[in-house]
Amino acid sequence: MGLIHGSASFTRYMAEGTLPQHFMEVLSESIARYAFRELDEKSIDERSAGWVNIMDMFDNRFAGIEFLKEPYVAMSLRIDERKIPPTALKQYCREAEDRIKEEEHLEFLPKSRRADIKEAVRLRLLKRAIPVARVYDMIWNTVTGLVVFGCTSARICDEFMVRFLQTFNLQLQAICPFTLGELFLIKEGASQNLLDGLGPTRFLEGR
Amino acid sequence: MQLLDKVRKTEFLGREFLLWLWFKSETGEGIFDLGDKGKAELWLDGKITLQSENERGVETITCTGEALNMKEARFALAGEKEIRQATVKLAIGDNQWSFVLDSTWMNFRSFKTPRVINDGKEDPDGLFYEKAFLIEEAISAMDRIYASFIGDRLSPEWLTETRSAIARWIRQGATGGVTQPLSAEREMD
Repeated sequence: MGLIHGSASFTRYMAEGTLPQHFMEVLSESIARYAFRELDEKSIDERSAGWVNIMDMFDNRFAGIEFLKEPYVAMSLRIDERKIPPTALKQYCREAEDRIKEEEHLEFLPKSRRADIKEAVRLRLLKRAIPVARVYDMIWNTVTGLVVFGCTSARICDEFMVRFLQTFNLQLQAICPFTLGELFLIKEGASQNLLDGLGPTRFLEGR
Repeated sequence: MQLLDKVRKTEFLGREFLLWLWFKSETGEGIFDLGDKGKAELWLDGKITLQSENERGVETITCTGEALNMKEARFALAGEKEIRQATVKLAIGDNQWSFVLDSTWMNFRSFKTPRVINDGKEDPDGLFYEKAFLIEEAISAMDRIYASFIGDRLSPEWLTETRSAIARWIRQGATGGVTQPLSAEREMD
């Protein structure tokens, strides 16, 4: 479920800085550079991440300017990952070890040899694993600077911030109660330092 | 100061904001002026998570129910617990949103907009714009309400009036009492 369909969880940011001149002209090129690429069936790559059309997660071509819905730039960050179930890896490793022990008439396999077998089995299984696709919507209001990203996981949010910087050459400021308060004070023309002196309120005695 | 340090040192602001919202909505002051956007009514309804940290470690309680004036959650406030997450209902005109607000990052979880007219089959862009508008409208309303909290929090009245009114409300909640709204208290004074 994303921002457009169903219910969603999201994190907010403010895009810092002003948009460069001719921003719109270079936008298509930047987005195409960081668009999602399918994991090759023959490759052993475990992960692929990039932009797709917010209305169609299978469209990564951006043939037109689907990302531009003025005043918004809207896309989804698609992340495909190949994962091998741990029990399957364990089972295939044990079978491979037993086969080698039998072929080489060995009673035990040293740790380093078992690690090599495990890696070889993992790579073999990786080619057979079907990638799991996840999609996180992003809506950026280029007038106000507000960016809404449809995820609250710290790891994915960090990856999103990096991808945003790479694509648009703009830093994102994460919103938290303090930064939101600062934005309010700036808007009111008050000193930002007012928040620095605050401490938790003791509502009840002894707290 | 690095952002994460700032977040950690000031995370009490988010917890106090949720407490202030709950107090306001329970004492009949849950209607907020949004300027040219009209008025927003806000109340806590559904799941609420409270937490405390002490020498025994972290203690968390989650209360679920339609009536959040329920004793258990209010009793937890009277102990040493603070609100970490709360389900918020926001109404502006005929539109109603529902979401879980997180005190640390002010993230929105399980965010539901009012029902949209466009199903997106014939006009996908229409659906996008309708959804984007509804998301921004809720965010903008919550930001204005938060600004109102910050204004209240930085005012001298926070220590002289609001703090004691909230403290009374917390104590009375644990015993099932009724608290007067702040405006009524000011009139009585």
